[in-house]
Amino acid sequence: MEIQETRQGAVTCVKPMGPLVQGDAGQFQRASSEVRARSLGRFVVDLGAVPYADSLGLEALVDLTEEMSEGGQSLRICGANETLREVLALTGVADLFEHYIDLNTAVRSFL
Amino acid sequence: MSGGSLTPARALLAQTAGANGFFGCRIVLPGGRVIADLDPGRISEKELPAEWPGGEIVRTAPSEGVSGKSYTLNIAGRGLAVLEVQWSSLPPSGDAGGWTGDLTLGIGVIGAIGLAGWALAYRRMRTKVRGVGAVGDALRAAAGGEVSTAALAVSESFGAEAVAWNALLADRESLQKRVAAEIAGHVVVQATGGRRDSDLAGLCDALWLGLMIVDEKGVIRYVNGAAAVLLGGARDELLGKPSESIVRDERAAGAIKAAATGVNRQRTSVEVESNAESGRGVIRFSVRAIRREESGAAMVLIEDVTQQRVADESRNSFVAQVTHELRTPLTNIRLYLETLVDVGDTDAATRAKCINVIGQESRRLERVVADMLSVAEIEAGSLRLNIGDVRLDALLEEVHNDFKAQAQDREITLLFELPPKFPVVIGDRDKIILALHNLIGNALKYTPVGGRVVVHVETNEAGVTVSVTDNGIGIKPEECELVFEKFYRAKDKRIAGITGSGLGLALARQVVRLHGGDIQVRSQIDKGSTFTMMLPMGKAA
Repeated sequence: MEIQETRQGAVTCVKPMGPLVQGDAGQFQRASSEVRARSLGRFVVDLGAVPYADSLGLEALVDLTEEMSEGGQSLRICGANETLREVLALTGVADLFEHYIDLNTAVRSFL
Repeated sequence: MSGGSLTPARALLAQTAGANGFFGCRIVLPGGRVIADLDPGRISEKELPAEWPGGEIVRTAPSEGVSGKSYTLNIAGRGLAVLEVQWSSLPPSGDAGGWTGDLTLGIGVIGAIGLAGWALAYRRMRTKVRGVGAVGDALRAAAGGEVSTAALAVSESFGAEAVAWNALLADRESLQKRVAAEIAGHVVVQATGGRRDSDLAGLCDALWLGLMIVDEKGVIRYVNGAAAVLLGGARDELLGKPSESIVRDERAAGAIKAAATGVNRQRTSVEVESNAESGRGVIRFSVRAIRREESGAAMVLIEDVTQQRVADESRNSFVAQVTHELRTPLTNIRLYLETLVDVGDTDAATRAKCINVIGQESRRLERVVADMLSVAEIEAGSLRLNIGDVRLDALLEEVHNDFKAQAQDREITLLFELPPKFPVVIGDRDKIILALHNLIGNALKYTPVGGRVVVHVETNEAGVTVSVTDNGIGIKPEECELVFEKFYRAKDKRIAGITGSGLGLALARQVVRLHGGDIQVRSQIDKGSTFTMMLPMGKAA
């Protein structure tokens, strides 16, 4: 799975390019954890190119935000499509994340 | 055999003597030291010495009616000993020769078993002595000030004593942590004016700001989760450490020390900048003294203000660039106005030229201001898209008409390669036109006279892709991403005479990204560039 990493100001954006499923979910979680440690939590996960996610994908997102909650932070996600938003809501984990409509809005939340 | 004693050997001696009818049997060391005897009252040595000097061993003479024999034993690594056995001169019955043979065999067995027993006892005793010695060394190190559990631990291969010692160390460490947590809770309670709250620790952990409490001695007594993240360590590792070993910046460490010791009771704020490999970071330490009757401490709030700093710098840069961009056309307008006033109606040609330049510069000003407003709106998050159905065929025809004259003026071939059928895209028509204007306008601007610009449109299920390809001057690879930054202009001498605000591409990309798409560029210097705009078919973000 391709995972794009870009910087906007002092904020790093991690953008998985494709469905968050199976082994790709683990790859995404490892890459995101590495960025989280490196950026002191100053990062955003852009889900704009993720059409859907399975249970492993959701677990990766939940694990990330739980890791961050120990430091008083929560995972910022942006660009989630309707399918993803519904899945997050139905599984009762939507409240664990900070949702933003797009990357710019998410980046501005660090101000 | 436990404890390195000679008990097993003595038991064997007694057993063998009993089986063979010996009424005397003992083992003697030089100097008459008895280490084993059928009569325990005659034993003078409780344990086998580690070694003993050589010397003559006085052998006991058998009394009347008693036969005896003695054998010299070489106990490996220690020295010589003598095994003495005594029996009645009259054999009980049977063949005396057979009895003597049994006796010799019995003595041999006793000697062999005794030696094996001693060797085993020696090995076990040596292991035990090494374990006790290691524990002793650790105790001396602890007395000398060593506190690290890892440094004081001994290898558990030394036996039960080593295992017990390590368990003791683990208990001590656990206790230390509990005490540290208790102290931290006590300090936090003090810091909050004595209010005891069972959820206080939970509240502190939920803080997105780092909170650290440092006592009078400069030792970290409390850190919440955010502080641990920002200080780059685990909470357990940070507790109990000198704050100076964690906060290395001299100014920040000095501020913490001054507050903790009560030298400075004012709130102090220090920003520490780091240039780590992962990128620049700015951490702000806000320090305040906590004074109580009996103790003092410093409360340190830790914030990551990197993004604020970057935004400040960006704003300052923006203001500087805006000033420059506005001043240039304004200066031209003022100069040509002055010329216009001077010439009056006397020179029609100069007058016409002045009016023309003033008109051009006014339009340039208008464009720059409009672009700046759009960029500012996007950055402030206040730009809203007027979403609706966009008919791309009509839109592209309009754009084509806008640039026909400009292309003809510069003798540039402007080609539109369009698909036979266009889908309807959902988006903001004006903003899509703005993005296309910037892409095609740039291509025409940086393509030399007689060049060629091709606008190629493709549609698929995902959306629409518009590629604008020119055979102009091209962009250096290292500048391909930079051209999308505000006010960035490529470092190419050939564009020095071409006007531009440096906002067009930044604006175009931002607008397309608001639609959920993106703009990418591929370029080769002196060969040309291709800017590809991807617009998704579905809803805009």
